[in-house]
Amino acid sequence: MTVEIPAALPVRSAPRHLASGTNPYLPAPARIMRVSELVPDIRLYELRFDDTALAERFSFRPGQFVELSVLGVGEGPFSLPSSPTRRGSFQLGIRRAGVLTNFLFDHIREGDFVGIRGPLGNGFPLEQLEGQDLLLVAGGLGMIPLRGLLQYLIDLRHRFGRVILLYGSRSPDQVLFRDELTSLARRGDAEIVLSVDQTHGHPWTGSVGVVTELLDQVELDVARTYAVACGPPVFYKFMLDKLVERRFAKDRIYLSLERRMECGIGKCGHCAVGYTFTCLHGPVFSYWDAINLPELIYT
Amino acid sequence: MQTLRMNSALLPDFVEALKAWGTVWAPVERAPGVFSLEAIDDPDRARPDALRTIVPFKKLLLAPRFTMLEGTTGSAGRPSDDSLRGPQVLFGAHPCDVHALAILDLLYMTDYVDPFYQANRESLTVVGYGCWPDQRCFCESLGTSSVDKGFDLALTPLGDRYLVAVASSRGDDIVQANQHLFQPATRQDTRDYLHRLKERRAAFSLALDVSDLPYVLELKKDDPVWQELGTKCLCCGSCSMVCPTCACFNVVDEIQDDDRSLRIRAWDSCLYLDYALVAGGHNFRDQRADRVKNRYYHKQEAFVREFGMPSCVGCGRCIENCPTGINVVEVFQYMRGDV
Repeated sequence: MTVEIPAALPVRSAPRHLASGTNPYLPAPARIMRVSELVPDIRLYELRFDDTALAERFSFRPGQFVELSVLGVGEGPFSLPSSPTRRGSFQLGIRRAGVLTNFLFDHIREGDFVGIRGPLGNGFPLEQLEGQDLLLVAGGLGMIPLRGLLQYLIDLRHRFGRVILLYGSRSPDQVLFRDELTSLARRGDAEIVLSVDQTHGHPWTGSVGVVTELLDQVELDVARTYAVACGPPVFYKFMLDKLVERRFAKDRIYLSLERRMECGIGKCGHCAVGYTFTCLHGPVFSYWDAINLPELIYT
Repeated sequence: MQTLRMNSALLPDFVEALKAWGTVWAPVERAPGVFSLEAIDDPDRARPDALRTIVPFKKLLLAPRFTMLEGTTGSAGRPSDDSLRGPQVLFGAHPCDVHALAILDLLYMTDYVDPFYQANRESLTVVGYGCWPDQRCFCESLGTSSVDKGFDLALTPLGDRYLVAVASSRGDDIVQANQHLFQPATRQDTRDYLHRLKERRAAFSLALDVSDLPYVLELKKDDPVWQELGTKCLCCGSCSMVCPTCACFNVVDEIQDDDRSLRIRAWDSCLYLDYALVAGGHNFRDQRADRVKNRYYHKQEAFVREFGMPSCVGCGRCIENCPTGINVVEVFQYMRGDV
């Protein structure tokens, strides 16, 4: 399969445009095609740009994000849980968290329009990952961007070695994409291990305990494996140490970080950490880069 | 570059002639020794010799607050022309201002070009003016005390005349349209310029030691000096507002009475408490010490790493306007253990 994804360009380069339009602050209208509830208070939105040419042309790198905007309510960054291998529409995984997402959950229905700017950020280093074994480690909502990467890996399965996903959730009713992940594992496309912190009385056949413990259960050839981690601060605090303990080189561990991305294009300054703008140089960083930017990972 | 001379008595005629290129903005004395950058009609009000206006020229390019997008509430919106300033002439830009303009260009006119900045930038004419340092100027340390590009015309006062540098096609248009004001420069003008240059260099009394500064800052990142500074800094943001290269902004939506909404963009400062606040309530820099340190590191370390030069041009505005008397040069001297 030929997949056209945007090249990873050096930032602060010659003038360039976002796929969504020449004015980088102006969102392009996109229609909500489908809304489904993943778990309580987290929804999966499927969107398609209103402009047919843009809808067909729109591509992105897994790990990139978009700004979703409703004029009068606000704008916020959301990662893409879908893959550019599936064209025409894209998905956003959204948790009810504030003014914008409350508006979205309460007032925006299938068929309505929102504004989208993007794609933004660097995304995962796909070219580097080719031919390698991949260990995806997700904690909680960190599964959202990693699901986009996972879909990409599955759609281009022959380009990659082993695909392993370790995914920890708080409880069985919080597991995102549970059926999908179960069937992927059953088909043998990926090795998937799920765990929950506690069962809280829900039926559960997977592991119980923190996701870091799952790492002890997998055999890995770290010299030919890249680890890609995404999760909340407490997850990074333990997971990164654990990966280093398993002898992963710090530049073979990638993580996707959250910051206050406002403009998304490296101008407004809010997500700046040292010399990096998380929205432009990130949100994906190697652990080595993250160590050298002291404020990047908070615990 | 072409160099001409102009009789000092012709300055009002020159300023009057600049009006053909747009609204003329110049330093105006508002109170004794206090200058602001204002649109002028009467050429005699212009005080290009004034060292620094409180707020620098950046307000001509991106207003402190303007509407970016407008439209029906709930829509994607469309760009507003609220930010468009039309043709403007900045009269009295000093070398540090011209360098600051180049820094803003680097930020806003590369990569994803900012169309709101670009529209005003392209219709801005820059007329420089040779300044004389006071005890707060430290541009000489940062290599921004002179300039040979990035402006259209520049006047250097040489007693009864000005040396006029023509540095752009638009600058030449101004000269061609006002030939009666100018004459060819002479060898004496060159000699006088060089003499002035020597005397001006000697007139600097403040110097910032920038040797190896990014790495020195790296070594000092956990130094108690930042905690001390955090107890003195009020995080009022005055230094950001008056800084010619501080360009951070905040975006807020406003709902109007008539089902219309606006997306407003306003100047912001990294010193404000909620600057790095994210969803869920985590604040990456909730201590004043962290915020003031971040500002210094951004100017002198981070910008150097990203663009190869500091984003401080040594204009002295932050020193002049800090309500608690924080002096960036003294802070760095103290940090290096020089005092």
